[in-house]
Amino acid sequence: MRGFVNRAGYFARETWINVRRNLTLTVAAILTVAVGVMLVGLGLMARYASANALGRWQGGVQFEIFLEPNIAGGQIDALGQELRNHPDIERIQFITQDQAFNLLEDMLSDEPELLAEISVESLPPSYRVVPRDAEGELIESLAAQFRQRPGVYSVETGRQQVDAIREWFNSFRWIVLLMSIVLAAASAMLIFNMIRVAMFARRREIEVMKLVGATNSFIRLPFILEGMLHGLAGGLVGAAAAAVLRNHVEELFGRSEILAFFRSFTVTSGQFTTATLATIFMGVIVGALGSAFAAGRFLDV
Amino acid sequence: MIRLNDVTKIYKGETRAIDGVSLNIEKGEFVFLVGESGSGKSTMLRLFTAEEPVTAGQVHVAGKDLSRINSWRVPYLRRNIGSVFQDFKLLPQKTVYENVAFALEVIGRPKNIVTTQVPAILELVGLSHKQQSFPDELSGGEQQRVSIARAFVNRPLILLADEPTGNLDPNTAQEIMRLLDRINRTGTTVVMATHDQTIVDQMRRRVVALRSGQVVRDEQQGVYG
Repeated sequence: MRGFVNRAGYFARETWINVRRNLTLTVAAILTVAVGVMLVGLGLMARYASANALGRWQGGVQFEIFLEPNIAGGQIDALGQELRNHPDIERIQFITQDQAFNLLEDMLSDEPELLAEISVESLPPSYRVVPRDAEGELIESLAAQFRQRPGVYSVETGRQQVDAIREWFNSFRWIVLLMSIVLAAASAMLIFNMIRVAMFARRREIEVMKLVGATNSFIRLPFILEGMLHGLAGGLVGAAAAAVLRNHVEELFGRSEILAFFRSFTVTSGQFTTATLATIFMGVIVGALGSAFAAGRFLDV
Repeated sequence: MIRLNDVTKIYKGETRAIDGVSLNIEKGEFVFLVGESGSGKSTMLRLFTAEEPVTAGQVHVAGKDLSRINSWRVPYLRRNIGSVFQDFKLLPQKTVYENVAFALEVIGRPKNIVTTQVPAILELVGLSHKQQSFPDELSGGEQQRVSIARAFVNRPLILLADEPTGNLDPNTAQEIMRLLDRINRTGTTVVMATHDQTIVDQMRRRVVALRSGQVVRDEQQGVYG
């Protein structure tokens, strides 16, 4: 145990000496790691956010059956009855022409002259339908069943929109992933070179250590720890940057009407913690890889 | 302690540095390796510490067959061998004490061992009063004594010295030889490669002469040549 404490002291001291010697390189490596892992963190959060948002839409997804504006009351009730009794349908909501007009009024509040052109009678009443199962196929087949009914004007499902958003997020995720891989590789290489420089600077010591019988792992460990320390520092900076960006973006979504659509793209605090830990962990891994490769290769200085 | 059996070492497929050498060095012996530059003295010392692998034949050091030794065991072999060089190989940013302590620290010796052994060995080499000096504040002879202290602090079975007096004036060289002799009298096997005729003739120890990688003379209580 005492031996371990001695060694821990030795490794801590040696690692610190290395860090202090190459301060500018250290900062460069830490920042590269930070940017790289920040992208990893953001990518991960975007993934969670899109999954959350899509899940919400899919979970409560409805489709809407628009009826002919001049449909007879009996037809409306018959259709309502059929929908209510349908085994695959959870619940329905009837939107009257007046209610439809109110909704439109809200949507077009900025354009009263457009609204003036529209009369309540010209709007279709509709049934909003929540299926028992948020399965895309099921929604499509239900929509198809009711599209042909007399008195039905059209059936709208959210599926295309959901698919488009999913696709957009997927490509965003891929771009972020690709960028973070490139940056992670760059940071690993930077750390690799730093450790090489550090080992070259200490080649005399390494020579003496080998001479007196220090094991290779003993010689390497301070250098690997140094790399991991850079990775950890980069990871922490990157995680902090990702957190700041996330708050900023969420605030932006909250404030801007144009971006209101994105409000449902939020991550839970659990997911945020996971993403943050993954970000820091990624930094440490990058540092460890870069330095372990260097320490393995340049021991014969 | 050291046994060579028909050992050949060829560098990069052409230079025959050691050529069919068989040699036996017993525990507690003091052996001079003599010969011109390039005769294979340094290469032979490097074979003993497994810094260089043999091309053919067997080298046994401290009971280990170096042609079969696992690379991870080499450091443990070297803990039984102290090495001293012409250029001292001291670390300039460390004090005398730290240079010697370093040799114990990096093989994981506990602190209490370090704090008792280092002053004792500095006492032995007569540098107790220079513990806090840096190498560039010392004379060549003092630096070499530090390097011997470092090589011997772990009480190795074997001490290898490659031209340890090569950079020193005759009087200082004598001092170093007295020190090596003292170390030898503790039972440590000493192998010293040298060009220094005066020293070899004075000490009257075993002399192994090399020429072009071959042993051309091996005498007990020999002279330089």
